Amino acid sequence: MTKLVVVSGGLREPSTTRLLADRITASVVEQLEQQGVRPETTVIELRRYGRAIIDAMLAGFPSTELEDVFGQVAAADGLIAVTPAFNASFSGLFKSFFDVLPEETLEDMPVLIGATGGTDRHSLVLEHALRPMFSYLHAVVSPRGVYAATDDFGAGDSATRLGERIEKAASDYVRMLRSCGVRTPRDPFGEDLAEMAHLLGNASAS
Amino acid sequence: MPGMQFGIFTVGDVTEDPTTGTTITEHERIKATVAIALKAEEIGLDVFATGEHHNPPFTPSSPTTLLGYIAARTERLILSTSTTLITTDDPVKIAEDFSVLQHLSDGRTDVMLGRGNTGPVYPWFGKDIRAAVPLTVENYGLLRRLWREPVVNWNGKFRTPLQGFTLAPQPLDGVPPFVWHGSIRTPEVAELAAFYGDGFFANHIFWPASHTQRMVRLYRERFAHYGHGGPEQAIVGLGGQIFMRRNSQDAVAEFRPYFDNAPVYGHGPSMEEFTELTPLTVGSPQQVIERTLGFRDYVGDYQRQLFLVDHAGLPLKTVLEQLDLLGEEVIPVLRKEFAIGRPESVPDAPTHGALVAAAAAHTSPGAAGHNDE
Repeated sequence: MTKLVVVSGGLREPSTTRLLADRITASVVEQLEQQGVRPETTVIELRRYGRAIIDAMLAGFPSTELEDVFGQVAAADGLIAVTPAFNASFSGLFKSFFDVLPEETLEDMPVLIGATGGTDRHSLVLEHALRPMFSYLHAVVSPRGVYAATDDFGAGDSATRLGERIEKAASDYVRMLRSCGVRTPRDPFGEDLAEMAHLLGNASAS
Repeated sequence: MPGMQFGIFTVGDVTEDPTTGTTITEHERIKATVAIALKAEEIGLDVFATGEHHNPPFTPSSPTTLLGYIAARTERLILSTSTTLITTDDPVKIAEDFSVLQHLSDGRTDVMLGRGNTGPVYPWFGKDIRAAVPLTVENYGLLRRLWREPVVNWNGKFRTPLQGFTLAPQPLDGVPPFVWHGSIRTPEVAELAAFYGDGFFANHIFWPASHTQRMVRLYRERFAHYGHGGPEQAIVGLGGQIFMRRNSQDAVAEFRPYFDNAPVYGHGPSMEEFTELTPLTVGSPQQVIERTLGFRDYVGDYQRQLFLVDHAGLPLKTVLEQLDLLGEEVIPVLRKEFAIGRPESVPDAPTHGALVAAAAAHTSPGAAGHNDE
């Protein structure tokens, strides 16, 4: 079973960011199903965890509820992450979530990035903010992200073009996701332990 | 003090009292720490432990000086650290300092080792934080030899070699201080404690109970794995954090401004949330008793319980009142209740007397053996 987790940094109800996340997810699911893969998707709306995220940052540990969310992300085979563009970057809440998420969680994780903004002049936020952050976290970032500005929801053929961009991004992502295969989450607890046992073994042998 | 030991541990912080806006001096803080330790003995606690910190706002940079002074003014209290920095302190100096303290205190000395150090501290002592884990392993390996071998020849990576080194003074009665390994979050520390069959102290107070449960379970399993006995025979200590008044609403109202402004947890989760997730208990003595007895449900029968009572700018007078309540209403009940249903196979908390007796009986089968040499 392929598990997809969708993280949406949208703040309003209804949210354009969530709308974009849903459209990307639907396209990814559809293309996976065409290839005979039936994914399971979980959507995480960050607004709901706003306080918990800041509390975790200040206290140094997550609430039980937030820890469950971390567990869902860690267990995923792929992540779709969408944020509103604020001040030439991702939103602070979106960044904060990934700041408190245990560091190793996204290693080898296939990620499809998306962002929304008031005008298309912010579209490089995908390349200047999201992609470097996920690369830093050792995720495998899909080559094509999706940026949607207010104009993309206007009349004429803009809506069609957004749909095409979503489909292309989803297609790239599905190919990557399937090549990456089943993902085994890291176990830093076990790794630390093994390293220590090794050091102690060497120390007592010398 | 058979069975369990109860005590307090301090970080020695100088923090503004948020209710008055006043901050005591370092001198006043050190004197207050002594007063708190003397009170601990007066109310019948077993252990007083101090942290080691080398930067403001903390005062205990020289733990054995503080503990030596307290040793001179007490009769029964076990004096410990919480923790001694095995990464940046020279193992030779640790061996000497605690050996002298052990003689002065007539064996009322143990030591809790920890890495607990931030990056900037390491270079102040000529060390490199990138080597924190290997430093811990090498330094502790050397410390054990210094306390056990009359003449030490030693070669390592992080320190100049020792040739023909003899520790002076030798440990009291030929038995080194009991060693605990203190940890907030790393499984490496549990592994180190288990490997040598030493005690494992879970700080407990800054992390959810589920985390402590996992660490203690790991330590117990690895303790058995390394052949020191059954998992239930491992030596476990826990931290705890309490604020009490006879009436629980009074405790909540009085402690809230201290919680809300404390550097370690203020401005984040509410006091109620923090209380639910961590061992922090703010309420009546009865609530403290119930909560503390509950620790046994997730770590098993254990040996040592230390409470943090003197931080976040609480005035000395309030801390001493806390200790009065602890001594009168909490500890006697905890001693009685923890003893009920405690299996025979669970060891008593370690004392110098017991270690001397065990060393004398070393040849008998089943005596705690070490497989580290």
